[in-house]
Amino acid sequence: MRNALVRAGGVPARAQVRTRVAQPVSRPFASGRVVEGSRIREIDCGSPTHAPDGVGFADGIQRWVLDGHLGLAPVVRAHVAAAVLVRNDGRFRAETCETEEFLVVPGRRVTPAQLAALQDTGLAVHETDPADRAHPIVDRYSAVQVVERRREAAERRAVTTYVQRHPHAWVVVDGPIGFFGDEPAASRAVGLIKTHDTQFLEGADLEIALTLRAGHRSSVFERTVHGRHAVYSWYLRLWPWRDEDLLHGLTRLERRPDPAAVVEADEVSRWMLAERAPLSAPEARWDRLIYPIREVETYLRARAGGWG
Amino acid sequence: MGLTEGIGPVIGRVIATEQLPASPHQFHFWTATETAIGIGAIVRVASPSRTVYGVVQDGRAYSDLATPLHEVIASEGDPTAPDPPSRRTEIRLWTAAVLRHEPEEPLQPVPLANVHAATESDVEIALRMDAYVRGEEPTAIPVGLYTAGGTEAPVYLDADFLLGPESAHLNINGVSGLATKTSAVVFLIGSVFAHFPRSKGRIAAVCFNVKGSDLAFLDQPADLTERDREMYRALAVPAEPLKNVRYYAPLKADGVNLNSLRSHPDLVGSVEPLTWGLHEVLDYAEVLLNRDDIDAKADAFLDFLADRVVGKTFNDEWGGRHRVESFADLEKLFRAIFDGLEATGGRDMWRTHHIATIRKVRNRLLNISTRCKGLVTDEEGGNDLPFGAFDDRAVYVVDVSGVDQLGQDLVFTRIVSKLREHLERRELGVEHVIVFVDELNKYAPADGPETYVRRMLLDISERGRYLGLVLFGAQQFRSQVHRRVVGNAGTTIYGRMDVDELATPGYQILSPATKIKLATLPKGELMVRHPHFTQPVFLRFPRPASLAGRQGIERFPPAADVPFEDAVTRQLAALDRRITAARVKDVIAGHRDEDVRSALLATRRARPDDPLTFFVARLHTSIPRRSVESAEQDDGRTVRPLAPVEDPYAS
Repeated sequence: MRNALVRAGGVPARAQVRTRVAQPVSRPFASGRVVEGSRIREIDCGSPTHAPDGVGFADGIQRWVLDGHLGLAPVVRAHVAAAVLVRNDGRFRAETCETEEFLVVPGRRVTPAQLAALQDTGLAVHETDPADRAHPIVDRYSAVQVVERRREAAERRAVTTYVQRHPHAWVVVDGPIGFFGDEPAASRAVGLIKTHDTQFLEGADLEIALTLRAGHRSSVFERTVHGRHAVYSWYLRLWPWRDEDLLHGLTRLERRPDPAAVVEADEVSRWMLAERAPLSAPEARWDRLIYPIREVETYLRARAGGWG
Repeated sequence: MGLTEGIGPVIGRVIATEQLPASPHQFHFWTATETAIGIGAIVRVASPSRTVYGVVQDGRAYSDLATPLHEVIASEGDPTAPDPPSRRTEIRLWTAAVLRHEPEEPLQPVPLANVHAATESDVEIALRMDAYVRGEEPTAIPVGLYTAGGTEAPVYLDADFLLGPESAHLNINGVSGLATKTSAVVFLIGSVFAHFPRSKGRIAAVCFNVKGSDLAFLDQPADLTERDREMYRALAVPAEPLKNVRYYAPLKADGVNLNSLRSHPDLVGSVEPLTWGLHEVLDYAEVLLNRDDIDAKADAFLDFLADRVVGKTFNDEWGGRHRVESFADLEKLFRAIFDGLEATGGRDMWRTHHIATIRKVRNRLLNISTRCKGLVTDEEGGNDLPFGAFDDRAVYVVDVSGVDQLGQDLVFTRIVSKLREHLERRELGVEHVIVFVDELNKYAPADGPETYVRRMLLDISERGRYLGLVLFGAQQFRSQVHRRVVGNAGTTIYGRMDVDELATPGYQILSPATKIKLATLPKGELMVRHPHFTQPVFLRFPRPASLAGRQGIERFPPAADVPFEDAVTRQLAALDRRITAARVKDVIAGHRDEDVRSALLATRRARPDDPLTFFVARLHTSIPRRSVESAEQDDGRTVRPLAPVEDPYAS
């Protein structure tokens, strides 16, 4: 099969046997507009170079447990945390850290007395807005969605605090940076996106972007966030994808929409290429998860105690 | 002994996992990667209810790297790839053995608390030195400085456990040239002399110099660095050479030149000849016999000689009258016996002793006068250590480096036996004697034949502390010394060790890291085990303030042997500096060398006010004596072969 693929002009993948069906993507497509040239090109970033000392790395974690039920209502207890670690001379030091532990319950399915009893624990209680009919899985999913939103909020707080304190410092954020909006201090924030559920390009542009060779990036394009804010973005291949799959080693970077982002795209890409070492293995996402981001997760897990 | 009070800086935190739990005797802690502590550092774990002191015995460092392959992948197979921008998280994880708990009971696991570097006060408590450093009658003997974790603290041995009576003896091991064994012992003797409580009596040391010039210049000052002087100050030990050192060395075969490397003209006058006659040797004749020789018959004949013959007027069966005072006299007696037996028809028994036994004993006894010529003389009496008049805090160096093994055994056995006899009777002049013997593996080997010397060393090791007789033994390989000798040493010191030696079973209790440290110890660093210390402790000691052998030889090169007349002059001049060579040459002209040696020995022994006059008087009144050799030459007679008798010892 491998030879047949090559003869047909294809690129062989790892051919790993799988059993799970991939989950459907909730938002598979969005729009993008090329801002570096007129079409997407593959650009050689040059040799990897170290980012300057003082770069911050931001990430968050979330943990939740189902503590029990009040009737059919699930009681979820969660821990979320986010931090920015700053690297100097190769060593990391925590600069900002946000943690939160709370309960989540389906709002209308618990009585005021039950709610009061939960609040007596000293933990904040957040309520979901459940459907009329109870459904244990849907209710639990709704609770976890709250957890995820709280984690994102913690990340936003941590990184916003950081950039406001250090407006001239670079910070690499795990995930999109649209939340910064017009925050002026975020001019040196870089979003590092490891998942590619939503595609902003199409046709030949998409094919060029998704088949980049290792050490290459795509042209910068603009995407819109929630129809309001725009961010500049480009794809960067960290590791070769031949014998793996199309998305292996493929990351997408984001910057605030500023002409400087285009000018600095090569340099920032070279920094990211240098972050291939140390390898973040044995993390499953080692091909896209850079070591400093993993270090933030490790730090947060270590601080999470029993949640870790 | 001012102590730094308070608590040292936090350097780490105790961790405990299921795989690495904290126990009452061991705990683990982590520190920053940059830390002052290392193997051998003493730490303090302080929790509200318990304080634990421990000594670091092992250390590990690892990162979050799951497999080396990940490094290869990250570097894309290029080991010369530039360093990555991030350093992996790494840990310094230390394992410490517990030295002491406070409170001692109930004994519990080490608390999971902060770890502090030990202060000077902590070191004292951790090593349980507080029991003997302080109080009304301190018995602390400084042995070196603990220097780790940014702390420098004196470490003391307990005199009651170093010199008796609680336990005693010291054993020191390490490879030659690097372990600084002799330096450590010389420093320790100086420290003992400075700190041994006067209330516990007087103390002296007898050091056997068995090789080279190791101990030949103990009374001469060494060049010390300022750092050495600082250490001396910290240990409250005078940075000066040993003050009262007496040297003893046998003579060479010529009977007048000293058989010692301390023969430089500036020093040779302070060396006393060590010479023994028949009386001195006969009591220790057993040393001269090997295992095959030791039997009841030989013993009985030796006893017969000692009890009935030597020093007494004795009539043989053939009308001969003997007064045996020297080896020459003894040879005449043997000749008379052999001649008498021949004359009476080849009898093979004399006074219930078989002729073969007589011949064996004769061979062994007369052999010593040949092999140890210079130590053993034909003369009556000898020149000996001042048994009965030992000085407090004096060192008596017996230089036997130029004597063969048999002679060394004899010297060692006789001197130690005399020390023991005098200590038993409380007639030595001091109540405690340190006996320092290097190359202990030669005298008390772990295997090999049972020898008189080894039996005696075992006896000292097991019972010496009750008498005040303390053995300081040194050797390269502890495993090669009889285990009861090393096992009875209350205090053990380890210098730089050989890795093969460290692989032997005796070192199993040491952690791999401790072994590595021992195998790479720099000069001047030692590991000490002492009854009060629950774990071995590493420490440093200053260079001895006494001149080391090698430097001594450079500063005081040994003089070549001088002619007979000059050697006699030198020895007499040592008694009276006014005596000139010309006068001595005039005096001894025309006299036989044996007579001159005899007169010289008598003069040295008597130490008269006017040595030359005494010497001249002895020279003119001495009865000419014949050595065994000269007697044979003079008479033209030799001991004729006996009638054919099977002699199993005739080798």
